[in-house]
Amino acid sequence: MTGYRKWLAPALAAAMTTALLAGCSGAKENDGSGTGNGAGEEQVTLRMIESLTSPKRTELIQAMISKFEEANPNIKVEFISPPFDQADNKIRTMLASNETLDILEVRDLNVAEFVNNGYVEPLNAYTEKWEDFATVGAVPKSVGAVGGELYFVPNGLYQRQMFYRQDWLKEKGLNVPKTWDELYEVGKQLTDSAKNRFGFSFRGGPGANGNSDAMILAFNGDNVNLDDSMFTKDGATIFSTPEAKTALELYLSLYKDASPPDSINWGFQEQVQAFTSGVTGILLQDPDVIQVVTEKMEEGTWATAPMPTGPDGKALISAGGAGWGIAANSEHKEEAWKLIEFLSSPEENTGFSKDFGLIPIHTSATEDEFFKTGPYKTLIDMTNKPDTFVNYKAPFEYPGTGQWGQVAMESGQSFLLGQTGAEEILKQWDAYWVDQKTKLNK
Amino acid sequence: MLILSGLIPALLLVLAFTYYPFLKGIVMAFQEYKLFDLRNVRFIGFRNFTAAFSDPKFLSALQNSGYWVFFSLAFQFLFGLTLALLLKKPFKGRGVYQGFIFYSWALSGFIIGMIWKWMFNSQIGVINDLLLRIGLIEERIGFLSDPRWAMFSVIAANVWYGVAFFAIMLLAALQSVPHELYEAADMDGASGARKLWNVTLPYIMPTIIATTLLRAIWIFNDPTIIYGLTNGGPAGSTHILSSLMLDKIIYGGDYGAASAIGVIMIAVLLLYTIFFLSVTRAEKAGDF
Repeated sequence: MTGYRKWLAPALAAAMTTALLAGCSGAKENDGSGTGNGAGEEQVTLRMIESLTSPKRTELIQAMISKFEEANPNIKVEFISPPFDQADNKIRTMLASNETLDILEVRDLNVAEFVNNGYVEPLNAYTEKWEDFATVGAVPKSVGAVGGELYFVPNGLYQRQMFYRQDWLKEKGLNVPKTWDELYEVGKQLTDSAKNRFGFSFRGGPGANGNSDAMILAFNGDNVNLDDSMFTKDGATIFSTPEAKTALELYLSLYKDASPPDSINWGFQEQVQAFTSGVTGILLQDPDVIQVVTEKMEEGTWATAPMPTGPDGKALISAGGAGWGIAANSEHKEEAWKLIEFLSSPEENTGFSKDFGLIPIHTSATEDEFFKTGPYKTLIDMTNKPDTFVNYKAPFEYPGTGQWGQVAMESGQSFLLGQTGAEEILKQWDAYWVDQKTKLNK
Repeated sequence: MLILSGLIPALLLVLAFTYYPFLKGIVMAFQEYKLFDLRNVRFIGFRNFTAAFSDPKFLSALQNSGYWVFFSLAFQFLFGLTLALLLKKPFKGRGVYQGFIFYSWALSGFIIGMIWKWMFNSQIGVINDLLLRIGLIEERIGFLSDPRWAMFSVIAANVWYGVAFFAIMLLAALQSVPHELYEAADMDGASGARKLWNVTLPYIMPTIIATTLLRAIWIFNDPTIIYGLTNGGPAGSTHILSSLMLDKIIYGGDYGAASAIGVIMIAVLLLYTIFFLSVTRAEKAGDF
């Protein structure tokens, strides 16, 4: 027995060492063999990663991929779904360390950064040969573009609207709020903390800047430079105006008088859950919550309305999105494009948009009855009133946009807690964007 | 030669996954290393450190780390010792009871964070609900949203988590105290408290020292409960050094600043260990 053990240990060790070494060299060989030699029928494996991961969405994308694989037996797709919170950093790390990646989900807020670092391939050469590109709307085209070149094809658009409790408003005889001031008044009247009922689903945690930015933009109204939306037409930041201060003060009142105190920490999940579980009465969210709201709430208790406007009757809105791009160091760009073209076809994209809750990218799809009724109708209505709901270009060309959410959240929380005054916060935010501007102009 | 070849795989793994990242981390602490700007990695001397020490968030995290370790450790130890003493004598159903007590230790810190996050929730949380029903409070308390309560809340969750560890370790030590010592103490007419103070505690002192030393380091390093519960919020008021370090990476993408915090943490722990060992060594020499 002991004799057996004596040679077993080194044998195992030797085996493991060889396995380790073999593993290393094996990986290298694979890297080499990938360089396409143009033999069309050769088996190709595409590595693809998503960013806005959620269980239902992953399932829908996987179903489309299976369809694609069936139609293209020589292409296999390895689909990676990192958890949403870590996805963007995972993608960044993979790109920075030159890991094999063919298709990646690029977001409006990080496309400039990826282009800056040379991580993603321009797609114009591919879209020229793509028949369905003609029906892709102007908005999705501009969302996926940096400096005139398209870097990703959006897989749907997100656009915020108001969800509200129809039954609560009726009970109190209140009208649907049209402006931010009305939203505050209605929210305050709906609030009854003894009954654990609050007017507004506030969001002070991750993504908090969604509300504060929207309010400050709406209050600055006509003065905002629509092509450079963190700045006014005079070139100062939108945070430097007296209107910004009025907006921020209303933002504070909205939190104090109409929202749950806990909501200072809330992110997407808590904000939506509070609405669907009957704690809050008004929610501002993207169409991807339509599914869960429909599922969890009784019909007739809720409805949708356009975004609230500022004092001069205008709301600044911006459609955002994420979509599929090709990694610059991919060795299978042709095959990767083939998959993107398939996923972005009117048929697949419209189906995906319906099932997940997005605005489809093809103009032809909005003719569909489905998008003309129910919760989607408000979105279409908003697009039809471009003078009230003014479209602006989100400041995604600034590499600091990705970090803005974090910066605005942290200082915003200390403002909500009364640790910092409105003027001080606005000064910090102003400084952040002035700094972004100088960095961009360098 | 035989032994050496047997050690190679383990050695390689340790080198690749422990020492390389460790050294690389120290190097990165002196670099500008931002995920958003990877083409601009360069050495910047001590700038990450001076930036850390002039950042009020870092200073508050340093202070919070102190509270976090001290109060978590003190209450974990006290409750753990009490439980261990109660569980020392056999009684019916002790095994099952032990199982329940030790259960929390088997959960991951992140899940504990999630559980307590819902319990502390001010709208639908069970803790507020119970306090309201008992009549202890009239207004719901924002355990996680009120900065005056947030640090208390994360420490409470951490105490709940760590009590089991002390109970397990101390119970094992208690069961190894020779029965003869108690018999001799009985003959001398020692009271229960006196037996605890003069027999039990000195005998299990080595275990106490080893476990508190280890636990303090773990508590200091472990960001999972805070990450799951508050993520450092509101307004950074519950960040400890390790959660702030994670925050710098996950949200700021700033590996240089995070590595500098990591190096500072190593320095703090080194000082702590030297201090702790010299204090306890002196005490041990006196007692035994």
